[in-house]
Amino acid sequence: MSALLEVAPMSLSFGGLKAVCDFSLELAKGELVGLIGPNGAGKTTIFNLLTGVYTPDVGSVTLAGKLLNHPERGLRPFEIAAAGMARTFQNIRLFADLSVLDNVRIATHLRARSTFWGALLKTTAARKEESRQRSHAMELLDIFGLAGRADEVARFLPYGDQRRLEIARALATDPKVLLLDEPAAGMNPQEKIALKGLIQLVRERFGLTVLLIEHDMGLVMDICERIVVIDHGVVIARGKPSEIQVDAKVIEAYLGAAPDAAGEAGAGEAGAGEAATDSGAKA
Amino acid sequence: MTGTLKGLLPIAIGIAILFVFQAVGGPSMFGAYQEDALLVIGINIVLGLSLNIVNGFTGQFSIGHAGFMALGAYAGGAITYYGAIKLWGSYPPELPPGTGDLLFVVALVCAGLVAAGAGYLVGLPSLRLRGDYLAIVTLGFAEIIRIIITQTEPVLSKQEVSQHSTLSLFKYLGGKSIFDRIPRVTNFFWVYSVVLIVIVVCYRLKQSTHGRAMLSVRENEIAAEAMGVHTTRFKVRAFVMAAFFAGVAGGLYAMKLGNLDANRFDFQRSFESIVMVVLGGMGSISGVCLAAVLVTYAPYLLRDVGLDQYRMVIYSLSLVVLMVVRPQGLFGMHEAWTVFAGEAGRRRWQSFIGTPKRWYLGVRAYARKVVGT
Repeated sequence: MSALLEVAPMSLSFGGLKAVCDFSLELAKGELVGLIGPNGAGKTTIFNLLTGVYTPDVGSVTLAGKLLNHPERGLRPFEIAAAGMARTFQNIRLFADLSVLDNVRIATHLRARSTFWGALLKTTAARKEESRQRSHAMELLDIFGLAGRADEVARFLPYGDQRRLEIARALATDPKVLLLDEPAAGMNPQEKIALKGLIQLVRERFGLTVLLIEHDMGLVMDICERIVVIDHGVVIARGKPSEIQVDAKVIEAYLGAAPDAAGEAGAGEAGAGEAATDSGAKA
Repeated sequence: MTGTLKGLLPIAIGIAILFVFQAVGGPSMFGAYQEDALLVIGINIVLGLSLNIVNGFTGQFSIGHAGFMALGAYAGGAITYYGAIKLWGSYPPELPPGTGDLLFVVALVCAGLVAAGAGYLVGLPSLRLRGDYLAIVTLGFAEIIRIIITQTEPVLSKQEVSQHSTLSLFKYLGGKSIFDRIPRVTNFFWVYSVVLIVIVVCYRLKQSTHGRAMLSVRENEIAAEAMGVHTTRFKVRAFVMAAFFAGVAGGLYAMKLGNLDANRFDFQRSFESIVMVVLGGMGSISGVCLAAVLVTYAPYLLRDVGLDQYRMVIYSLSLVVLMVVRPQGLFGMHEAWTVFAGEAGRRRWQSFIGTPKRWYLGVRAYARKVVGT
C-alpha cells in the first residue's frame, strides 16, 4: 500500500537554530500515528511545515500524489487545507466571538459551491449552500456532543468543549489527514477517556488518517499504532508503542541519561506534567 | 433564475415604495430642514455601513474612508456637470424630466467604480500590513487623494467646455477653490434607495458563507487560513466593496450639496465614519445604522434646543461616556433584534435595565483611573 502522506527528509532552520532536521514520515491511509518529544523538540514546527505556515529549507510534503510544500513552491495554508489536510492548534485558535455553529460552518466554506455574487443576490444555489452548510455543521456538532450549544459564543465554552470544537471545525474541512496538536491538553481524566473514544470514532467514520501530538503518554500509547519520537528536531526513535516505551534514547530524552527500570513509568509522568507547562509557555 | 428574481424582489419592492413616496411629495412633509437632515443621515448610513465591511467584518483598521468618498464625490460631480453639458449643452434643471436622473445613475455607478478601483489598490498593501501600519497607509492614501484634487484646475464654464476634449475635463475639478454648479439631483428617493441596497447587501453578506469567511479573518487570521479561507482575497474584496459604496455615498453627497471643497474630505470626515462603526458595534449592521442616525442627527437636535455652541463638548463627552460604559459598541457584534432574543437576550436585557448603576460604576472607575487615586 502506497503512502497517503509522504514527507521527504525535511529541514528548517531559524537563523542558527536547526528547528527540524531531516524529518521524514510516511502515513498510510487510515493510520493513527503519534508524534512525541520533549518541550521544544519541534513537534508543532513540523505541523506548521505540513500545513504550509513555514516553507522547508529542504524536503517536501506530498499528499495523495499532490505536492503541498516544497522549498521553491509551497502552497499557502488555505490551499493545503483544500487539498485535504486539517489541523487543530496547541493554543486554541477558535473564532472566539462567533457562535459554535459559525465556527464549524466557516470551515465548510472551502467546499462551498455558491459564488460571492450569488450570496448577494440570494440565488437558489446560495440558499442551498447555506442549508447544506448548516446541516453538515450540525451533524458534526452532534457527533461531538455540541449540538445543544450551537448558538453559544465559542469563547464561553468550557475548555474541554473548546478543544472538541476545534476538532469538529477541522473535520468540517473534509480532510484526508487530520493533525491534532495536543488535543488532550488541559482536559481532566474523564474528558481524556471520552476524547480517546472520539478520536477513534471519527477516524473510523470518516476514514481519516491521524497524526497526533500529545504529551499524555497514556493516551498516546493506547491509541497510536506507531509513534515517532523527536528531540531537538531530530527523529530519535520510531516504532510500536511497546518498542518506544523501552527505547533507551527516548527515555534519555525525557529523563536524562542513566536509564533504569523505573524509566518507563517516569516517562509517562514527565509527559503529563509537561503538557500544562508546554501549552502555557508556547501560547 | 427564479431564485435570483426572488432575491431581487425585496429591493424592487422597497424602491417602488420609495418611488411612490417621493412622487406624492412625501419627503417634503418633513419640512426642508428635516428633509435635509434625512438626506445627510442616509448618506452617513451608507458611509458607516461601507466602512463596516472593512473594519467590522474583516477587522482591518482603515481610517482613510474620506479618500474613497472624495473620489466618488468628484467623479460623480464631474460626470453629471460635464456630462450634461457635453451631451445636451445644458444641465439637469433645464433638461426634460428623466434625462438628468439617467445621467445621475450613471454618475453614481461610475463614482462607485472609480472608488472601488482605488479600494483595490489600497487593499493590496493590507495583505502585508496589519493594525496600526495599515491604518497609517489608509490615512496617507486619503490625504494623497485630497491633495491631488487641490492641484486640479478651476472648473470650466459651460462655454469653455466645448473647447476641451472629454478626457481632459478631469483636469478641471476646482482645485483649491470650490467645484460648484454641480446639478443638485440627490433627493430622498435616491438616497434611501441606495441605503436600502447597501443594507440588503451587507445583511446578506453577513448571513452568507462568504460573509462568515470575512468574519473569520477578523476573529483569527491564522485559524481562518488553516481552515481553508483565502484571507487575502476576502480582505481585498472587503476593501473594494467598501470603497464602492463610499464612492456612491460621495456621489450622492456631491449632488446633494451642489458644490465640493476638497478640504471637506479631511481626516475628520474619515473619523466620523469610524465613530459610527465603533459606536454601533464592529460588524453590527443595525448598530451602525443607529449610530449613524445618532451621530448625524445630534447636531441638528442641539441646534434646535439652542445648545449649538456646546455641540462639540456634548458630542465628545457622550462618546467618552459611551465608550466607557459600552466599549463593544451599542449592540456589540450582534444585530438589534438578536441582542434581546432568547435566553441570552433576557440576561442581556436585565443587565441593560441595570445599567444606571453600571454607568455610575463605570464612570467612577474611569474617573478614579484618570485622577489616579
